[in-house]
Amino acid sequence: MLDKTRPTSCTLGELLIYQIALTVDDGILAFHGFGSPLVQLALHLAKRNHAPNLVLIAGATYGVNPNPPFLTPTSNDWVMSQEAECFLDIEELFDIGASGRLGRMFLSGLQIDKWGNMNVTRLGGDDRLKLKLPGGGGGCNLSCDVENITIWTGAHRAPADDAGRRRYRLVDTCDFVTSVGHRTVDDQARDEMPYRGGGPDCIITDLGVFDFDDSGHARLAAVYPDTDADLVRENTEFTFPLGEDLAMVDLPSPDMIEFIRTMDPMKIHHRELRRSDRGRSFELAA
Amino acid sequence: MYTYENKECSLRELVSHVKRDDCVAVGGGLSWREPMAALRELIRQDTGNLTVAGSAHGIDIDLLCGAGLVAVSGESYVGFEQDFGMAPNYRRACESGQVRVADSCCYTLVQQLRAAIAGIPFMPIRSVQGSSFMNLHPEYKTMTCPYTGDELVLVPALQPDIAILHAQYADKHGNLHIEGPPVADILSAKAAKKVIATVEKIISREELATKGVTIPYFYVTAISETAYGAHPTSCYPFYGYDREHTALYYDAAQEGHASFAERYLKPYVFDNVSNQDYIAAIGGDKKLEKLRAWNTGAQQWMALYA
Repeated sequence: MLDKTRPTSCTLGELLIYQIALTVDDGILAFHGFGSPLVQLALHLAKRNHAPNLVLIAGATYGVNPNPPFLTPTSNDWVMSQEAECFLDIEELFDIGASGRLGRMFLSGLQIDKWGNMNVTRLGGDDRLKLKLPGGGGGCNLSCDVENITIWTGAHRAPADDAGRRRYRLVDTCDFVTSVGHRTVDDQARDEMPYRGGGPDCIITDLGVFDFDDSGHARLAAVYPDTDADLVRENTEFTFPLGEDLAMVDLPSPDMIEFIRTMDPMKIHHRELRRSDRGRSFELAA
Repeated sequence: MYTYENKECSLRELVSHVKRDDCVAVGGGLSWREPMAALRELIRQDTGNLTVAGSAHGIDIDLLCGAGLVAVSGESYVGFEQDFGMAPNYRRACESGQVRVADSCCYTLVQQLRAAIAGIPFMPIRSVQGSSFMNLHPEYKTMTCPYTGDELVLVPALQPDIAILHAQYADKHGNLHIEGPPVADILSAKAAKKVIATVEKIISREELATKGVTIPYFYVTAISETAYGAHPTSCYPFYGYDREHTALYYDAAQEGHASFAERYLKPYVFDNVSNQDYIAAIGGDKKLEKLRAWNTGAQQWMALYA
């Protein structure tokens, strides 16, 4: 008999959290940074499912393996470090990053380019500052030396305004490179740089999932039940290749969905999504 | 080194250690343990043309920008996360050119403070090269490592003129005890020329020794007991984050400079100077009770974020 109390569909937010969680291998050290509710939930989801030996380092508090009673909109908060096994401090966390011992970091940007470079510093060139963004925290340092980077954004969709202009999230070139991807501002390939890390290996967005080809260029790898390659093209400033078999992503299980809903009763993670995308939902296979 | 026996003074005297043109390291981080009472006093003293340097900050730096005290920002982040978003006063000040943008990055800052602490001119890092920070900071240099041949970035020592902190406890001698994440407070205190701190409570040396010394007294120039001195940011275990007040702040700031001056600076900074008057202005005992109730249950704690 069908249990009516069990979720039969997931929201876009829950899909994204699951996709981000899938990038987390068991047994690594991973850091969720701050201002990143989708990622914070993804790390807790990963640790309770396929990655029980994950060393989960909370952003801003640097608490290790905490068990927050609920998700807060503020990261440097005792809620988020409840029941932590131990604490790092700022220099220890970043030393671990610099020495290449951090397995994965999660970064986002108001501009994300085709090489996985990102901008959270400023819009407008050096001569004219159009919009001052909050800044990247430790993102620049970590983008160089952490083993793998997951890029995510809940705002890939770039609807045209009345004049037909779009402000793209996935852009050809960033106005300022806050964190580095696969080609530097001087157009050098990542493997010519003395970084410790391998750079971003995916971009998870509200429209689909990219990986990177051998040249370090973003390539569309998977879409969602309500998106396709054309929709992704329309909302992306750069042209991109398609993966060999454009996949449909897997959806989270009812248990995972229930876990997310319990951990985020105030739906803080919705704030990373456009209002119009918050209602998107996907039927789970029976 | 600050070796005298009694560091206790009034908030006014404490903050008068900050001078015009100083490079200031503000303690705490995001919505946690910001020295807000000291910053409000700094605004009343109108000590401006400051350079601010730090890791991830929010309302503290935004408030200083809104009061026109900041000339250069070398912070890694100034914002309100997914709580409210971008920092309105900070944005306006940067975009108008009033504040020169000299953004940093957390590990860059850590290494610069470490160089100052160790008394060496720079520290090397592997990161930052290949990003736009190299153009923003012509003072960053590169060198080929004599041992490995790798190209490294050198970042110069950063010695703030003063670190402004808020801690839970101090003794009169100036030993500080910080509970919970110290963020960059310890590094900033050891690197800076002067350290001033407001604290929730001054306790005896014996009691403080039992809790543990986070920052030894000889780094600390002066201390002042200012209960609720981090409000509206949190200072656990004393009180949680006042999101309601932060929302009021944010609304006033977002509407523009004039609105912020009238609706925020006037009632909460200039008109209510004593700590007692400030507490009355933010809602008095009823408000404080709510903020202290964070540890009475998950529902009470969650209510602070509603």
